[in-house]
Amino acid sequence: MDSTTSKAAGGSSVGSLRPSLSETMGKWAFRLPIIFMVVFFALPMALTVVFSVFERTMFWMEPGFSLLAYENFFFSARLNNFLSSMYYSLIAVAICFVLGFPIAVFLRKSVPQVAQHRVVLLFILPFMVSEVIRVFALRPVLQRNGLVNETLMDLGLISEPITALLYSHTGVIIGEVMSFLPFIVFSGFLAMEAVPKYIFEVCDDLGAGTVRRFIDVILPLAAPGIFAGCVFIFVNGLGVALLPNILGGAGAVNAGLIATQAIAALDFPLAMAVSAIMMATLMGLLYIGHRLFDLTKILSPIN
Amino acid sequence: MNDYTNPWLHRLKWAYMLLIVVTLMSPVFYVMYISFNANGFGANEYDFTWEWYGLIFSDKLLMGALGWTMTLAVTTTVIGVPMALLAAKFYKRAQNKVLPVFLLLAPLFVAPDILGSALLVFFKNTNIVFVTLGDALGTGIFDGWFDLGFMTALIGLIIYTIPYSFVVILITMGRYNPEQTEAARSCGATAWQAFWDIEFPQIRAGVFSAASFTLILCFNEYTRTSLLKGGFDTFTTVLISQMLNTGMSEQSYAMSAFVSFVAIAIIGGIIITTMLRAEMLARQHREVAEPAAAN
Repeated sequence: MDSTTSKAAGGSSVGSLRPSLSETMGKWAFRLPIIFMVVFFALPMALTVVFSVFERTMFWMEPGFSLLAYENFFFSARLNNFLSSMYYSLIAVAICFVLGFPIAVFLRKSVPQVAQHRVVLLFILPFMVSEVIRVFALRPVLQRNGLVNETLMDLGLISEPITALLYSHTGVIIGEVMSFLPFIVFSGFLAMEAVPKYIFEVCDDLGAGTVRRFIDVILPLAAPGIFAGCVFIFVNGLGVALLPNILGGAGAVNAGLIATQAIAALDFPLAMAVSAIMMATLMGLLYIGHRLFDLTKILSPIN
Repeated sequence: MNDYTNPWLHRLKWAYMLLIVVTLMSPVFYVMYISFNANGFGANEYDFTWEWYGLIFSDKLLMGALGWTMTLAVTTTVIGVPMALLAAKFYKRAQNKVLPVFLLLAPLFVAPDILGSALLVFFKNTNIVFVTLGDALGTGIFDGWFDLGFMTALIGLIIYTIPYSFVVILITMGRYNPEQTEAARSCGATAWQAFWDIEFPQIRAGVFSAASFTLILCFNEYTRTSLLKGGFDTFTTVLISQMLNTGMSEQSYAMSAFVSFVAIAIIGGIIITTMLRAEMLARQHREVAEPAAAN
């Protein structure tokens, strides 16, 4: 503390002598990340709309106006694949919510405050292992002679291995749940900050049952965070190509896979059209969420 | 019903939570288990061996990829974490918080393949624009700025990791009282001194956690890196190409297990360090509050 004080005291002369140039530069330094994100994130994402209407050439694209990429998307099996991936992604969201959100409620309600963050760290553990490894590792677990089938057969619960667990839509849903479940715990945990602990006692005192307490009290209060977590899982279910690529069978194609396949086929306008459609889907969802629940409330615990 | 009226229900909830964690980790544990089997996956007999680990360390391609991965991860951390820190400070002061929040958290909601594809096409088109501009000006200095390679992969990874660092640092900053900065400034400290000597020591844990997360996330990342990296290989791209070309070989299991061990060790280290630090701080507080009792 002494050194700090002496530095601070000594700093007065330095501070007054130093021209305001450093302060001006400092102000711009704070804006640097925002400028970076505008140039390398917002701009490329917005430009997907522009690039999607460019004319396709043999190996690249050239400026022009063509809706061929959208035609290729909307009037082919791609649209069906996209819609069915939405359906399976929604199932994954529902499973994640049912399995993961009660954990967030339990953490906030019953675990002492000092221990809560440490328990949340436990859910970061699977997330810290590469998704590539976690998804690939599901193959030996789910396949015909894998861990799940062997265990179930050893227990005598099944006589024949279940083959629908892998290379099917079920496999993709299992992959999505295993990959994204921690996020509903994180977002639920943040969302539950909006539900003070005394609420549970008030509900008990007023005689509200568990179901009524959940539907009428917890859900409306925690809605912004729950919605954000669900949107995260939904769009990643639509956009992570690795999941249908590794775990899916015939017909398991999502938007991410359509985009990467288009890039591999050098159809860049189609890849951009898929990206633009995904961005429109995301923006639409966030707009609806914001109108319904005011999503800025999500960060209120941090503020 | 509260937890004290039915302790068994409370224990059941704990058991359920731990079961979910173990289930989420089970594929990784299973891969670790297989990686030590001399006979590989699906064999009837289990013979413990280190052989597959020896093979990955003698693999020159893999070790080269490991070098690139580390360089990329460290560079992303060195640039990305200070950027997240600056962004968090900007956010705290900003009148209108919607724009910074949107820009810094939106990458979380954009799927990796979509972001990777958008950046790939953006960089290629920017390159074309720059070359055309250079030709018009009669200079070649703009050529190749955004050729796919280390820098484009770096930009992709910074965009990917900055939301995580931003949130972690912001959470730690929430515990810092900004009046301390005002006090330091009124005592004559420069803005930098007030930050470095007063604020930083209090948010250091968050910054180091953000750095560790960024390192691990970069090490594990595949999609964005593979789309934007250009010519070189990273650990995950080698892993994926080996898995897709030859299937899950014993060596692939060992590689996967090795990376998972490192990630778990780092996160485990963070958990243990925070617990020990919290314990130490609590003890110091007790000693200050009750000097006689502490002796």
